[in-house]
Amino acid sequence: MINLEERVSEKKSFFNRLIIVYIFFAGLFLYFLYKTFLLQISSYTDYEIASLENKTREILIQPRRGVIYDRNGNILVNNVPSFNLIINPSLIENLEEHLNEINQIIELSDDEKNYAKENFSSLAKLNRELVLKKNLSIDERSRFEVRKYKFPNTFIDERYSRENLYPYLFSHSLGYTGNPNDPDLEEIFLNQNLKPKEIIFSYSNGYLIGKTGLEHTYDDHIRGQFGKKIFEVDASGKFLKELETIDEIHGKDLFTTLDLESQRVAFEQLDSRRGAVVAVKISNGAIVTYLSSPSFSVNKIANGISQKDFNSLLNNDDKPFFDRAAQGRYSPASTIKPAIGLFGIENKIIDWNFTIDDPGYFILPEDGRIYRGWKKGGHGNINLKDAIIESSNTFFFSLAYKAEIEDLIKHLSNFGFGETVCIDCFLPDSGLLPDPSWKMNTLNFGWFKGDTVNLGVGQGYLSATPIQLAYYASFLANKGELNKFSFVQDNSELEKSIFLNNNIDENDWLKLHESMIGVIESPKGTAGRLRSLKNYTIAAKSGTVELVSTETKEDYKIIREVEGKRDHAIIIAFGPMPNPEYAVSVVIENGESGGSVAGPVAIAVLNTLLKK
Amino acid sequence: MKKLLNFKNRKIYFDQYLFFSITLLSVMGLVFLYSASQGDTTVLIKQSIFVLFGLLLMFLLSQPDPDFYKSNSLIFFVISIILIVLTLLIGIEANGAKRWLDFGLFTLQPSEIIKITLPVFLAAYLYDKKLPISLVNTFITLLIILIIVNLVRIQPDLGTSLVILMSGLYILFLAGLSWKFIGFSSTAFILSLPFLWNNFLEPFQKQRILTLLDPSADPYGSGWNITQSKIAIGSGGLQGKGYQMGSQAHLDFLPETETDFIFSVIAEEFGFIGVCLLLLVFLFILLRCLFLALNARDRFCRLTIGGLSLIFLSTVLINLSMVVGIIPVVGMPLPFISKGGSSLLSFYIAFGIIISMASHKKLMQK
Repeated sequence: MINLEERVSEKKSFFNRLIIVYIFFAGLFLYFLYKTFLLQISSYTDYEIASLENKTREILIQPRRGVIYDRNGNILVNNVPSFNLIINPSLIENLEEHLNEINQIIELSDDEKNYAKENFSSLAKLNRELVLKKNLSIDERSRFEVRKYKFPNTFIDERYSRENLYPYLFSHSLGYTGNPNDPDLEEIFLNQNLKPKEIIFSYSNGYLIGKTGLEHTYDDHIRGQFGKKIFEVDASGKFLKELETIDEIHGKDLFTTLDLESQRVAFEQLDSRRGAVVAVKISNGAIVTYLSSPSFSVNKIANGISQKDFNSLLNNDDKPFFDRAAQGRYSPASTIKPAIGLFGIENKIIDWNFTIDDPGYFILPEDGRIYRGWKKGGHGNINLKDAIIESSNTFFFSLAYKAEIEDLIKHLSNFGFGETVCIDCFLPDSGLLPDPSWKMNTLNFGWFKGDTVNLGVGQGYLSATPIQLAYYASFLANKGELNKFSFVQDNSELEKSIFLNNNIDENDWLKLHESMIGVIESPKGTAGRLRSLKNYTIAAKSGTVELVSTETKEDYKIIREVEGKRDHAIIIAFGPMPNPEYAVSVVIENGESGGSVAGPVAIAVLNTLLKK
Repeated sequence: MKKLLNFKNRKIYFDQYLFFSITLLSVMGLVFLYSASQGDTTVLIKQSIFVLFGLLLMFLLSQPDPDFYKSNSLIFFVISIILIVLTLLIGIEANGAKRWLDFGLFTLQPSEIIKITLPVFLAAYLYDKKLPISLVNTFITLLIILIIVNLVRIQPDLGTSLVILMSGLYILFLAGLSWKFIGFSSTAFILSLPFLWNNFLEPFQKQRILTLLDPSADPYGSGWNITQSKIAIGSGGLQGKGYQMGSQAHLDFLPETETDFIFSVIAEEFGFIGVCLLLLVFLFILLRCLFLALNARDRFCRLTIGGLSLIFLSTVLINLSMVVGIIPVVGMPLPFISKGGSSLLSFYIAFGIIISMASHKKLMQK
């Protein structure tokens, strides 16, 4: 037993100790209160969002892509409904049995069955739908509809797929659509303020984005905005109820400047030969015809093509996927001559009365190398106009010989050579406008005077795409003033590129047009046989691209035994003169004669555009 | 304030403050539990029965004189030990743990009982020992505590064994454990922590501690509970989402809403204001206990009231610290609020004993 004194000190000790423990716990308690305050007051917004994200799931509603029209309101690309057979896995107990029953009504492929089996349990757990089969035929639909009372958990729903109504005509210009890859999709979601990770994208099957052509260039415009349904979910991800629906915004329609009729004519004229046709409305630079040949069906690419068919297209020697109109590089050959002539006038090297004597060849004074014309014996005494009409090489060899290469390059770039001339073409090539530093860097050779001479007749390193040639033609037609090209109607606000010159006046342009009219109309014109194909006046310049340099016609006859070594046929043309509305360029690979092979195609396209 | 009611010539021992505040807390608990159980009336009815029975038990246990507890503490303690041993032998196994004894009509968790009988027994053992407590008595006490703690730990039940350890140590400390011993042993404890970590903790227990240090490391695995609990509490904000409107609780994001994480439900639905009001009730009870302990009639009563109220305080704080992520998830109910049988009843028993100690005047001395 303890005595009284001890009891007092014991009591005191107990008091102190209990208070110590209480103080310790009071501290802990305050810390807890502080923590709770941080959670509930300071970080409230963060946790409120976290709680909201926990309990909601968003399901996207696909917008419909815009329709693409030609300039006359013809639908070129449309959305067609695809009817899909869809099941609700969470309500189906035995998938195998269910598939067998369905299979008796609508045949399912092994791929479709396997897809269903692989995804069944995960989708069932989350209470989401599963697409069994896409693109049901009318027959399949009606067979299912009459028996659907047997399948309360299966239904047919309408989804849209993309269809180009003229799949071969517009394969390169309009391009095709396809399923987006993940980075593309992420970017689209980001642009539309959607959080990729929160979104159950698998729900919106078959979303498409433009992969090539205008479908790609104007994807933002055509695409529209996703709508979404917001569902409340529990911790297991099960959908409980719909909280909110935000409607989708359908994509805007795209009104192009393309012209269905002229496109069709160009397609028929080329008849699957390798080549390209580009026609534009001169006043605003609107592309009306844009064909690369041979073509392929964009619908097959977009809506499923077998690997075998795809490979055969890919490995085809004619390269149908290659967009020759915007990416094919061709020497302009003789079509360059009007621009070279203008260079002579501009720099006062020559005037319209200046003549030379053309013996059929030009000898480079530096090394005595001979540059031949196409006509044995030459064109005799000849001025600029006749040199264009008859396509005298000697005249332009000697003119180019007198040029400073830097000046000539600057001059040619005004006509679109080496430049991007189209604002909405898909991956356009700028061709090649060679200069001494390019040659040094690429070929490790210095610039020879002979290179400049070759430039005078559009041979050598210079190359241009058909769309650049069309730009060049339009620029000549519109007397040095032009909009950049575009496929879309409203480009009136675009700045025009203007050929700044000191010495070329209206009279010079008229004379140049006269010369180019002469190419067809003059008895000596190189494209004289086009005269009978039309009943109005057209200015033109044809060209023949030598792929293999030959000394004599006999040599060429041996060469042309191999089709791939034959000359390319080129023509640029515009009309009707004197007030040209349309310009056209045609390239036919290994077509040999610009005037007689490429020419009729150009005339046919112009006839259609001018309704003559 | 002891209160004596004259009831048919029989004295009724009663503390109005504790009685009413605990009743209030129990009723609040029923309201919260109804929401936390997703409006399950079966749970509500069962819990109501426990509460009524508990309040009755508390009232009945406050009637005997403290000397009754002092002289019978050994018997209660031995019975508790027997129950614990029986649990290890023939207990019901659930989730890999043997914690319950099946009595047919009800199941009992003996570790919850020994949580009360151990401190009462130790108070009775130590109340007449000289100050400071001798080394021999210290070791005897520690040995008893450690045996009991280990009997519970091997069930395994880390949470309750820790509370039992604390309940024993509180008595020892309050009874006058020498400061030298405290200083020496706490140094030794800290030094032996790595050894304890490696030898005494189950892998899942280690995982819980690691999760506490960085819950975001694995938010969908072991960090899930604490992450969801924080979201629930945080998203309650100042005013809460409203009764039965807590999305975290009602859409199953929050685990164990009826037991360990019931506070998260309250915080989500009633906000910071609700939390503060609830804490005020707890605070009131604790301050009342402090007052009663300081004014107890003798050393035994002092030690018992002090020890039992500290167990209550510790349990509350462990639960609260756990749900906001201050300490690892150990499985500790919120007294009088969480759904539960043995744990709930143990606190009614504890407060019954506290009221008995507080309301009986000293008979012989003074």
